[in-house]
Amino acid sequence: MKSPRPLWLAFLLIFLASLTGCHDGAPAIHTLDEAAHSRMGVMTGTTSEALAARLFPKADIKHFDDILDAIAALKAGQLDSVLTGYPTVFLATKRNADLTYLPDILSTEDTSIGVRKGNTELREQLDSIITALKADGTLADMRRRWFKDDLGPYVEVDLPTPTSGVPLRVGIIATREPISFLDPSGRVTGHDAELAHRIGQKLGRPIQFSILRAPALIPALVSGKIDAAITGMSATPERRERIDFTQRYYELRQQLLVRVDNAQREQGPSMGEKLAGSVRSNLLKENRYLLLVNGLKTTVLISIFSALLGTLLGASICFMRMSTSAWLRRPAIVFIDILRGTPVLVLLMIIFYVVFASIDISPLIVSVIAFGLNFGAYSAEIFRSGIEGVDKGQVEAGISLGFTRIQTFIHIVLPQMIQKILPVFKGEFISLVKMTSVVGYIAVQDLTKASDIIRSRTFDAFFPLIMVAVLYFLISWIFIKLIGLIELKTDPRRRRQRETQP
Amino acid sequence: MIKIDRLNKHFGNLHVLNDVSTTIQKGDVVSIIGPSGCGKSTFLRCLNLLERPDSGHVLIGNEDMLAIGTNVSAVRQKMNMVFQSFNLFSHLTILENLTLGPIQLKGVDPSAAKEKAMELLRLVGLAEKFGHFPEELSGGQKQRVAIARCLAMDPEVILFDEPTSALDPTMVREVLSVIRKLAKDGMTMLIVTHEMDFARDVSNRVFYMDAGGIHEDGTPEQIFQNPQKAKTRAFINRTRSLSFPIETEDFDFYGMNAQIEAFCEKQILSKRLRQNLLLLVEEVLQVHRPLLGRGRLTLTIEYSERLNRLELICTQDGPDRHPLEGDHLPDEFGVLIIRSLVESLDYSHADGQTRLSMIVRAGAPLGSV
Repeated sequence: MKSPRPLWLAFLLIFLASLTGCHDGAPAIHTLDEAAHSRMGVMTGTTSEALAARLFPKADIKHFDDILDAIAALKAGQLDSVLTGYPTVFLATKRNADLTYLPDILSTEDTSIGVRKGNTELREQLDSIITALKADGTLADMRRRWFKDDLGPYVEVDLPTPTSGVPLRVGIIATREPISFLDPSGRVTGHDAELAHRIGQKLGRPIQFSILRAPALIPALVSGKIDAAITGMSATPERRERIDFTQRYYELRQQLLVRVDNAQREQGPSMGEKLAGSVRSNLLKENRYLLLVNGLKTTVLISIFSALLGTLLGASICFMRMSTSAWLRRPAIVFIDILRGTPVLVLLMIIFYVVFASIDISPLIVSVIAFGLNFGAYSAEIFRSGIEGVDKGQVEAGISLGFTRIQTFIHIVLPQMIQKILPVFKGEFISLVKMTSVVGYIAVQDLTKASDIIRSRTFDAFFPLIMVAVLYFLISWIFIKLIGLIELKTDPRRRRQRETQP
Repeated sequence: MIKIDRLNKHFGNLHVLNDVSTTIQKGDVVSIIGPSGCGKSTFLRCLNLLERPDSGHVLIGNEDMLAIGTNVSAVRQKMNMVFQSFNLFSHLTILENLTLGPIQLKGVDPSAAKEKAMELLRLVGLAEKFGHFPEELSGGQKQRVAIARCLAMDPEVILFDEPTSALDPTMVREVLSVIRKLAKDGMTMLIVTHEMDFARDVSNRVFYMDAGGIHEDGTPEQIFQNPQKAKTRAFINRTRSLSFPIETEDFDFYGMNAQIEAFCEKQILSKRLRQNLLLLVEEVLQVHRPLLGRGRLTLTIEYSERLNRLELICTQDGPDRHPLEGDHLPDEFGVLIIRSLVESLDYSHADGQTRLSMIVRAGAPLGSV
């Protein structure tokens, strides 16, 4: 690649387009009646989803994995309203001048702690703790401090929690300010996080948070990955069939988030001010760029280790695949076919929630295993095509010179094979880097997840996405250059230049 | 030095090598000739076990290649092979092609290996190409490098598997002269080749292989000038033939003529020669007509490309009786025409068969205007 300039230009154009906003022309909604026939966004796996279907059967309901994506779609004019809980509605409107909400309270829900079905002991313990916290006014105080009507800093209470003992594993969604979210240092905080710490204090157990996506909460409880879900969960009858709930610890109001009319909107800030504001809120405020830096590290780490594991695995599978023994060959073929025919996200979730269900294993390692397996299946086939591409005559020549089969492979096949496969291998590796963006599903904070977290605080959909796109591009570009260097190193024509007179 | 005992090899149902046995002495230069698909290359590849024989023994020196426990790779170091398609290592320079084996297999010091390699490249006339890659060389140059690569391993025997078959005619000579030089220096070599002239002057033994075996084994003089067996002779003379058995007077004369014409066309015979042949066949049949009741008559047409000679042979079961002499002839006219159409005419009788062989005249018939 001579110059990446056209790509930079493309990024810049997308970025500028994002700043101007693209929703002009879509009429804003003012009443519930209008909303009933509009495009409405909800978050998958939440009570809003069920509520929307019940209250607005005629609405065109769109389902999002993350409430932030729904809000971004609303801002972009692809939705007319978003149904969600009050704290989110409040923060989204405070941080986005072009959003507001309808005053109607559509439902009031019990927010409870979810535990595994049959774990009566823990549920009763939690119930009595909640009762006690209600009785001494702690919960009311927490509500005042976290669910407040201004944008000032949150008042946090320092809680000494036990450091030894069996940890209580708590599942949370990290993008639900002020219920549960990450502070600048990446620590889990929020109303429910404080509640979890208070529970840990009373139980005499340290708290271990597991950051999950909403659809993963119940599977994580059922499979025993977490002990309790304390993250603004509504106790619906449907959920009660799969897990148990404690008594409620607060009520959650569901409201409709809508866009402000173009006409009503005052003249917005200039594009330069918008850009400066985006940089301030998304990167500088609370040192949020650190989240990106750490996410970047995680992404690079997972990519490199998966590639290493996958390459080793691929070499072994390739050896089996090319064996004359059917006992080795058949399993290799089956492995390759299954791994190549399964989406890597599904594989990742299966390994995390099924294979290692009851084992306490770092999701980082699970990611490396899942992507390593996937990469192994692909690289096995790449290796095979590389080996088969080497002239059989040269192998015979090596053998007839007196090399053993292994020596022939090392001195004659391998150097030629590497040269042949590197271009394909490079592409496969880059696509691996990009594929790792789904590790957020099993609570790994990679680059994509870092942008999600930033978006959850700033409610700015576009800037963090563009930042992440640029960063992914940079990682890929650097890796392309590095592998390109290896390619040059192994090119015999380059080597000749170093050759001197014998 | 090489002893081959009852070697057998099958490819599926095809019996490629059928009980091949022979002994090769040190210093022998053996050319292996024979028609395509007769097992020449397979025979060679069975010696260094690139193909594994189904049964038999291959003794190189005292080592039985097929015995369990033989270090086959070590034996191969002493018995290298030159291939039809050169098979140079394409990722290595010419020099590295020559030094890889000695450095990796024999533990030769790299600088000594380079020196020796340059010496060998000088021997094959390619010293200035040492830093090039194989793909930058012509076919003939590649094959000379391949020979030098073998020599770098100090082999006792070199096996050549059709070393010039993939070369342009202009490049054949340069490769053959290198092989000639090796023969002069006393290298033991087995050469599968289609270059008959080369085989004749380079080797001290020639194997004619046919039907999965060594059909005839002899000195070049014997094989090329006086082959003992019919198949060898046909191969050496590059003879093509066509036979017609005739039992009664009512055979398909026109069908036979059509086949003869097709044969002549395929061998690219001159128009005159073809006409002479057809006339001759007609007259010979005329002469034989009264004798047809006595026994089966077989007409054979043989064309030797090497000698540029067309021969018509008539064999018939029966007593010793010259078909062109005697009172069965209606008149002398037919015999006269026959004699005017042939260069020479030869009659013999053996095993109760008369044999009349005539070499067809290439020019105008004698006495014609």
